[in-house]
Amino acid sequence: MSTGFSANMTFIRRAFQPRSRQALAPQQHQNTWRDYALIFLPYVWMIIFFLLPFLIIFKISLSVTEIAIPPYSPLVTFEEGAMQIILHLENYTNIFTDPDGTYIRSYLKSLQVAAFSTLFCLIIGYPIAWALASSKPAMRNVLFMLVIMPSWTSFVVRIYAWMTLMKRDGLINDILMVLGIIDEPIQMLQTDFAVYVGIVYCYLPYMVLPLFSALMKVDYSLIEAAYDLGCRPVKTFFSTLVPQTKSGIVAGSMLVFIPALGEYVIPELLGGKSSILIGRILWQEFFNNRDWPLASAVAITMLVILVIPIMIFYKMERREQEKLNAGK
Amino acid sequence: METPVDINARNTASQQPAAQPQTAEAIINQPVKQLHLPGQLPGQKPTPEQQNRKPILEIKHITKRFETFTAVNDVDLTLYQGEIFALLGSSGCGKSTLLRMLAGFETPTSGSILLDGKELIGVPPYKRPVNMMFQSYALFPYMTVKQNIAFGLKQSKLPKAQIEDRVDKMLRLVHMEEYVDRKPFQLSGGQRQRVALARSLAKEPRVLLLDEPMGALDKKLREQMRLELVDIINSVGVTCLMVTHDQEEAMTMADRIAIMEKGEFLQIGGPREIYENPNCRFCAEFIGSVNIFDCHLISSNATQSLIACGDFKNPIELTHDIDLADGMPLTIALRPEKIYISHLTPQEETNWCEGVVENIAYLGDISIYYVRLTDGRIVSATLPNVDRFKEGLPTWDDHVYLSWDPESCIALTF
Repeated sequence: MSTGFSANMTFIRRAFQPRSRQALAPQQHQNTWRDYALIFLPYVWMIIFFLLPFLIIFKISLSVTEIAIPPYSPLVTFEEGAMQIILHLENYTNIFTDPDGTYIRSYLKSLQVAAFSTLFCLIIGYPIAWALASSKPAMRNVLFMLVIMPSWTSFVVRIYAWMTLMKRDGLINDILMVLGIIDEPIQMLQTDFAVYVGIVYCYLPYMVLPLFSALMKVDYSLIEAAYDLGCRPVKTFFSTLVPQTKSGIVAGSMLVFIPALGEYVIPELLGGKSSILIGRILWQEFFNNRDWPLASAVAITMLVILVIPIMIFYKMERREQEKLNAGK
Repeated sequence: METPVDINARNTASQQPAAQPQTAEAIINQPVKQLHLPGQLPGQKPTPEQQNRKPILEIKHITKRFETFTAVNDVDLTLYQGEIFALLGSSGCGKSTLLRMLAGFETPTSGSILLDGKELIGVPPYKRPVNMMFQSYALFPYMTVKQNIAFGLKQSKLPKAQIEDRVDKMLRLVHMEEYVDRKPFQLSGGQRQRVALARSLAKEPRVLLLDEPMGALDKKLREQMRLELVDIINSVGVTCLMVTHDQEEAMTMADRIAIMEKGEFLQIGGPREIYENPNCRFCAEFIGSVNIFDCHLISSNATQSLIACGDFKNPIELTHDIDLADGMPLTIALRPEKIYISHLTPQEETNWCEGVVENIAYLGDISIYYVRLTDGRIVSATLPNVDRFKEGLPTWDDHVYLSWDPESCIALTF
């Protein structure tokens, strides 16, 4: 998923920056050609590997399928000296007017899966990040390894491992049967439950790491101050820790939500036939139906769905920051 | 080492004579010699016991042990209604641990803390009627000044109008009305301190805890804020326990001071008492600067004690008796500002020595003269720089005589 990459980087940068530096006014600095040269490289990278592919996909989404190579109509044609630019918008209208509502439903389903996965990651990841941040340095390294090491094995291998764990005669069912908690195996594979397990398991480190970095910068005297002023523990958590770790929560949620939205492998291997997510739709349109224009339109629509809330959020953040700076 | 209980008791006893009515005239007309006698210290506020104040906080046999060391060791302390009490000590002496136990952030290993006669131990911090002003102020950075001050009041679920009232009152108290909507990072250090003070006073705590109140301020602002803070605290009338490592801060702000070392109280008393009547060598050296002489007793009776000190040609004379056998070692403490420097040989038979000026530290208001005595020891003596251009002051390598009044020496037996 390259769509949220630049937005992601902004959040990561903000999350890893010490608080005080954010509050400082930007330094007066005259840019020299060296500075521009340095910026130039990432710009070239972004243009070649992000902007150009995006424009190509966008172009394809405005054409119609043809049995040809490539399998879509050209955008610009020359016929008898006349240049014709044909922009087909029916791919986009098709998405929304599809009689079965397949696309809309898969968008909603994808949003739901991504949102709940993010929430579960946050609920599970926060205590883990807290344990990491409050452990002694020697112990912290060990815990860090435990969080990161699973990511070193192949992604697909880990999903297959979950398949063997969750199948009808898998380890989990066996243990539950032996313990007498259940009488017959539970159907876990091919359910939404399995999809959530897979996504949460795979993306948890991306939630834990930004949260950990935010928790390391927490001013613990604020927690004591809240206690001292009569605030009960649960309320103290929400009134002191959550605002202080907001940057980590946002960065972690973005890092989980965005890739989870377009996730293809996990729902494909663990999910059932009923849970058609947007990833599968894309695959089907591209490879089964060879309808590249429609697939492109689906992809672009998803990007818009993703980018708009991020942009709104970012703008609000900036406005808040500007308001603070103006008050100085 | 005596237990803190005994120190407490002795201090109370030693102050009984001061309870006699002392008018300003009586003090001025007293012969100078009597001014420095133990237990009769003019310019010192009467102790809380003498004012018949009510005890508000009683700390009894409090001990806090961490894994490897004892931070607070069997400490007793009683705080009286309306007083400002300072715990003074170097870092790691246990003063902060004691404060944190009062706030509820640390649980004592043993002992009890009574607030208005009710046990505090076991009560979580959010239910204790004490509030703390933190060293770094711990203002909520994402809240405005107003929200910060209102935070504690909101927790106690007061009606909104009442909260507004109280916040306004607090803002007026600390003169921060203009800054209600600012966030902490938009305030200067002194303003942040005012907000922190207002926030900790907003809930009308029974005891206000101050953790290094001036720790985050620069030197100039510190001196200015000390008296202002005392004014605000006194106008509210709250009982206040502060922790500091800065002796000047403790002396200017507190009514009573406890000098703390290795988890125990060494001395409790008013600022003047602990400066003029330190009860041990550590206290003498901790507060201000002091010359320490290792001596031994020649003879002692009710009106005169003679003490031999190293190579001094003349003995040291004190005008009271010392409860020691003749020939026993003791320590004499002498403050630099109580030493006279002269080029002329003193006529007295006691209380002087001679040496050569080795170094002079010019501090502006005073100069410190470091005089090397004939036996090689260095004694410091201060002279105020009263005149801008004064002739005849001692200078480097001058042979000088140092003398002092018999009352200026403090005899320390431990």
